[in-house]
Amino acid sequence: MAADKKTILIVDDEPDVLTYLSTLFEDGGYATVQAQDGNEALSKVKEKAPDLVTLDITMPNKSGVKFYREMKESAEWRKVPIIIVTGVSGDFKTFISTRKQVPPPEGYLSKPIDKTEILNLVKKLA
Amino acid sequence: MDLPYRRYFEEIPCYVTVQDRGFRVVDSNRRFREDFGDPEGRFCYQVYKHRHERCEICPVDQTFQDGQGHQNEEQVCTLDGREMSVMVYTSPIRDETGAITSVLEISADISDVKRLQRQLKESQRRYRLLFEEVPCFISIQDPELRIVDTNRSFKENFGGFQGSKCYEVYKHRDEECVECAVRRTFKDGKIHHSEEVVTSIQGKQMNTLVFSAPIHDSDGEIQYVMEMSTNITPIRELQSQLESIGLLISSVSHSIKGLLTGLDGGMYLVNTGLQKNNQQRITQGWEMVQRNIERIRGTVMNILYYAKKREPSWEAVAAPALVEEVCGLIEPKAREYGVALRRDVDGGAGEFEADAKAMRSLLINLLENSVDACRVDTKKPSHAVTVGLKGFPDHLVFEIADDGIGMDRRTREKAFSLFFSSKGSEGTGLGLFIANGIAQAHRGQIGIESELDKGTRFVVKIPRSRKEPDQGGKPEP
Repeated sequence: MAADKKTILIVDDEPDVLTYLSTLFEDGGYATVQAQDGNEALSKVKEKAPDLVTLDITMPNKSGVKFYREMKESAEWRKVPIIIVTGVSGDFKTFISTRKQVPPPEGYLSKPIDKTEILNLVKKLA
Repeated sequence: MDLPYRRYFEEIPCYVTVQDRGFRVVDSNRRFREDFGDPEGRFCYQVYKHRHERCEICPVDQTFQDGQGHQNEEQVCTLDGREMSVMVYTSPIRDETGAITSVLEISADISDVKRLQRQLKESQRRYRLLFEEVPCFISIQDPELRIVDTNRSFKENFGGFQGSKCYEVYKHRDEECVECAVRRTFKDGKIHHSEEVVTSIQGKQMNTLVFSAPIHDSDGEIQYVMEMSTNITPIRELQSQLESIGLLISSVSHSIKGLLTGLDGGMYLVNTGLQKNNQQRITQGWEMVQRNIERIRGTVMNILYYAKKREPSWEAVAAPALVEEVCGLIEPKAREYGVALRRDVDGGAGEFEADAKAMRSLLINLLENSVDACRVDTKKPSHAVTVGLKGFPDHLVFEIADDGIGMDRRTREKAFSLFFSSKGSEGTGLGLFIANGIAQAHRGQIGIESELDKGTRFVVKIPRSRKEPDQGGKPEP
C-alpha cells in the first residue's frame, strides 16, 4: 500500500512548519520528504522524485526563487506541480506569475496556512 | 536795478535775498516775502530760522571770506511755522573796484526731494530688515559663486564668510558642486531649486531646500544670484521615521505570519494527538506552541524597545553575574534544541558602568541568534554555544560563539542593518540592529567573525566607563 502513496516534498527553513505540514500531509494519506533550503530541495527531488512540492520562497542559502526557476527550466522536473507557501505579501504572486522565463506556479498560498485549503489544493494537483 | 531785471528778480521761483556783511537782509524777492514776511532789515538767521545768533556754518559768510560761490542744505521755517528743506546757493556781488559789498543768496525748496529720499531710505531699511530676518539662509552670490552678502540666519549658522565661495562655506569642499542651482540660474535666468545636505559651523548636518533667483542690474544683465535655503531637516527626519515604521510593520507582519503558522502547526499536532490519543504528538505539538509563543514574546519586546527611545539608566553592573543571569535565561531554549551552552567566564572580570536592562537585551539577542543558527543547521550532529567574558583594565569583552550555519559575506555585512534578516519568515531584522545600538550607546562595538557552515563568533567590546577617559582634562567648548 505504501508504494501507492504520493510523495510531497516540503521545502521550508522553519522546522515547525516542516513538522506541521508533514504531519498534516501524512494524516491526509501522503508520504513526505523535507528540505530546509533550495540546495537540499534539489537533491531531494532527484532522490525521491516527488509528485508535488510545497515551497517557501524566503529561505537562507539558496533562495526558493532560484530552486523554483531550476525546477521549471528542467525538462525532467518541469511537470512537478509546485505550491508556493509564503509569508511574503501577495505582490509576489503577481511578480512570479509575470516572469517571462518561467511559468506561473501551479498553486500559491499565503501563511498562515488554511489546512483545508492546502489539502484540497494538494489533492487537486498531485 | 534796472526795471526788467528787477521784475525777473522778483519773479524767480526761489527764495532770493541780498545780504550785507552783517547777514542783514537788504533786499529780497516776492516769493521770499510771501513765505517769510518782509525782512525789514532783520538778519538772515532771524527770518529763515527764527534764531537769535548766526548759524555755525554759513555759506554767505564763506562767500564773503573767499569770494567763491557756496552751497549748503538747510532746514528753514516759514512765517506760518512750516518746516522746509532748502538748498542754498550763494554768489558774491562786487562793486566797481571788485570788492565784495554783498552776497546774493538763492534758496530752492527741496522738501519733496528730501521726503522722497527719506521714503527711499526707509523702504531700503525695511527691505534690509526683511532680508536679515527671513527665517532661512540667504546669500547673494556673484558669477564666481563668491558670497557677497548674507542675512543674519546665514551668518549665525555658517559664519561671516563674505568673499568665500558658496561650496566652501556650505559644504566645506574645494570644488563646485556638480549640480548647482545658482550656476543654472546664471545660465538661464530662471528660478531653480535643489535639495542639499550642508554643514553648519557648529558641525551640524542639515537637509536644505535651496531656491536660486536672478538679480538683474539696470541693463537687465544677471549681476548676482540670490540663493535661499530652508532647513527641512525635521521634515526629512519625520519622513525617515515614517519609512522605518512602514518597514517595521511589513517586517513584523511577515514574521508574525511565520509564527502563526508555527502556532497553527502546534495546535494541529495537539488536537490530532488528542484525537488519536498519541502522547508523543501532543508533546511535540505543545512544544511548538510554547516555542512560537516565546518567539512572539521576543518579537514584541524588540518592537517595544525599538519603538520607545528610553534614557539609559546607568549603574555599576557586575559583568560575571550578568553573563550568568543571561545564560540562565537562554539555557532552557538551548537544551530544547539540543544545543550545549558552555561558559568561559573570567570570574574576576569585575564591574562596568552600564544600563543593565539594555545589556541583558543585547546579550540575549546575540545568544538567541546563535542558538537559532545551531537549530536550523542540519549538517552537524550536535551543536554548542560558548559564552565568554574577559576583563581588561579599561574594557570588557563578551564573546558568543556558535557552530551553527554561519553567515555568508552579504549576511555578515548587513547583519546589523535594520529590518535585514536571513531567517526567512522568522526574523524581523530587529534583534541585531537593537544589540548594535545598545553597544554603541555604551561606547562599545560588536564585531562578527563568521563563515558559512562553520559558525559565528560575536565579539562585544564595552568600555568600563561610559565617559571618555580624557573628558575631565578637556576644557568645555
